[in-house]
Amino acid sequence: MSNMIEAENLTKKYSLAKQRTFKEFLPALFSGQETKTNLLALSHLNFEIKKGESLGVLGKNGSGKSTLLKIIAGVTKPSDGRITVNGRVAPLIELGAGFHPELTGRENTYLNGSILGLRKKQMDKLYPEIVKFSELEEFMDQPVKFYSSGMYMRLAFSVAVAEKPDILLVDEILAVGDSKFQEKCLRRIKEFQNLGSTLILVTHSPEQIQNYCEKVLVLDKGKQIYFGEAKAGIEKYKETLGI
Amino acid sequence: MNEVQKLINNIKLFFSYRELLFNLARREISQRYKQSILGYAWVILNPLFQLLVLTFVFSTIFRVSSFNVPYAIFLIVGLLPWNFFAQSLSSSVNALTSNSSLITKIYFPREILVYGTIMAKIVDFFYSCLVLILFFIYFKVPLNSQILWVIPIFIIQLIFTAGLSLLISTFNLFYRDIQYLLNLVISLWFYLTPILYPVEQFPEKYRWIFIFNPMSVIINAYRQTVLGGGEPNLNSLGIATVTSILFFIVSFLIFKKSEGKFADYV
Repeated sequence: MSNMIEAENLTKKYSLAKQRTFKEFLPALFSGQETKTNLLALSHLNFEIKKGESLGVLGKNGSGKSTLLKIIAGVTKPSDGRITVNGRVAPLIELGAGFHPELTGRENTYLNGSILGLRKKQMDKLYPEIVKFSELEEFMDQPVKFYSSGMYMRLAFSVAVAEKPDILLVDEILAVGDSKFQEKCLRRIKEFQNLGSTLILVTHSPEQIQNYCEKVLVLDKGKQIYFGEAKAGIEKYKETLGI
Repeated sequence: MNEVQKLINNIKLFFSYRELLFNLARREISQRYKQSILGYAWVILNPLFQLLVLTFVFSTIFRVSSFNVPYAIFLIVGLLPWNFFAQSLSSSVNALTSNSSLITKIYFPREILVYGTIMAKIVDFFYSCLVLILFFIYFKVPLNSQILWVIPIFIIQLIFTAGLSLLISTFNLFYRDIQYLLNLVISLWFYLTPILYPVEQFPEKYRWIFIFNPMSVIINAYRQTVLGGGEPNLNSLGIATVTSILFFIVSFLIFKKSEGKFADYV
C-alpha cells in the first residue's frame, strides 16, 4: 500500500481515423482502403513509485511522455494493463487551462481551485497565500484578459501549488515568469517533496532530473527502455540520443 | 455488485465536485454579457421581443385560437419553457468540445460541464419569467392553487433536458455534425410542439406525433394548469415522466461509458 503509483503492463493504443470527414470516409469505405490506423503510444510499461519518491520521465518528442502523464492524471484510460494511483493528483501540465479571460483574477482563482477539487472553505484560507505567491496583489480584481502572459502563468502556477498534492505532475513548465519567480517555483516544489509529495517530472533536461528525482523512466517510441536509479537512466537516455 | 459499487462511487465523486458545478454556472452567466451595455437585461429583452412579434403574427395575421385568454398570455406560457429547453440544448451541445483544454488536462466528472451549462440556463429561465409575471398582472389572469403543478412539470422537463443534453454533448464530441443537425432539429421541433397553437387545433389523425414528443406533453401540461386552472392530463404526464427518467438513465450510462475516451477524441 506504500506505493503511490503502480503500473503493470500499461499500454495505450490510439486509433486514428485516416479520413476526418464523411466526404473522405465514404469513398474510402467502398474502395476498401483502411479507415483506421493504430498508434501504439505506450507499450507494456512496468514501474512503481513508492511514497516520497519522485520520478523523472525522459524521452524524445513523441515517445509517449505526455500520454503517460494523462493516464496518471486520470483523463484518459489505458487500453491494456493496469495503473493504480493513490492520492490527490495536481497536474501542472498546461497552466491556466481553466482560466476564463473575461473573469477577474480572483474569480479565476476560485474557479481553478474548484477544478482542482478544492472546496471554497479551503480556498478562502489559501487565497491570501496564493495572491502573495503570485505577487499580483493589485491585479486580482482585473479581468485576466488584461494580464501579460507572464502574469497569467504566475497566477496559474500559484493556484496549482497552493495546496500540497500527493502527486504533482509537471510537464516542462519550469519556464514560468522571470528567473526570480522560477526559483520560487522550484523551491516550492522542493518543499512539497520534503513534505512527502511525489513529483512526476517530464523534461528533456537530465540536470533537472538529477536535482529532483530518485527514479527515472526512459521511453522511446512508447517502449520502456529503462526504469530505475536516476544516474544510470540518464546514461541510457544519452545513448538513445546517440551522444 | 461491482457495477453498483462503481455507480455509488461515481455519485460520491460527483458530490465532492458540487462547488465546481456552481462555479461553472456562475462563470457562464457572468462572462456572457460582459462588455455589453444592457448586460443581463438581454435575458428579459429577448423573449419580450420574440413575444411581441409572434403575438402580432399569430393573433392578428393568422388568428390562432387560444383557450379563453389573450394570445400573448397563451403563447408566453409555452414559449418560455420551450426557450429554456432549446437554449439548454444548443449550449450544452458544445459543453464538452468548448472545454477541451480542461478535458485533456484534469480529471473531474465530465457531466459537471453539461449540468453547469443547464444550471446557467435555469437562472436565465427564472429571470425571463419576470416577463410572465408582468403580463399576468397586466392582463389580470386569475390563478389558483393548481399552479403548484408547474413545479413537478418543470422537474420532468429538467430530467428530459438533462438526458438529451448528455447524449448530444457526447455525440458532438465524436462527430461535430451534431451541432449543425441540432439547429435544424430544434427549429423543426418547435413547430411540431404545441407552442404557437393549442393541441386541439392539430388535426386528430396526426396527433400521434405528440406521443413521441415529451415536450408537447410538458408544454400542454403547463397550459392546462396555469391557464386552464385544472389538473394536467395525469395519464400522459405519467408516461412522459417514465420516458424522461428512462431516457435520462440510458443517456447517463452512455455518457459514463464514453467518458474515458473523451480526452482522446476531443
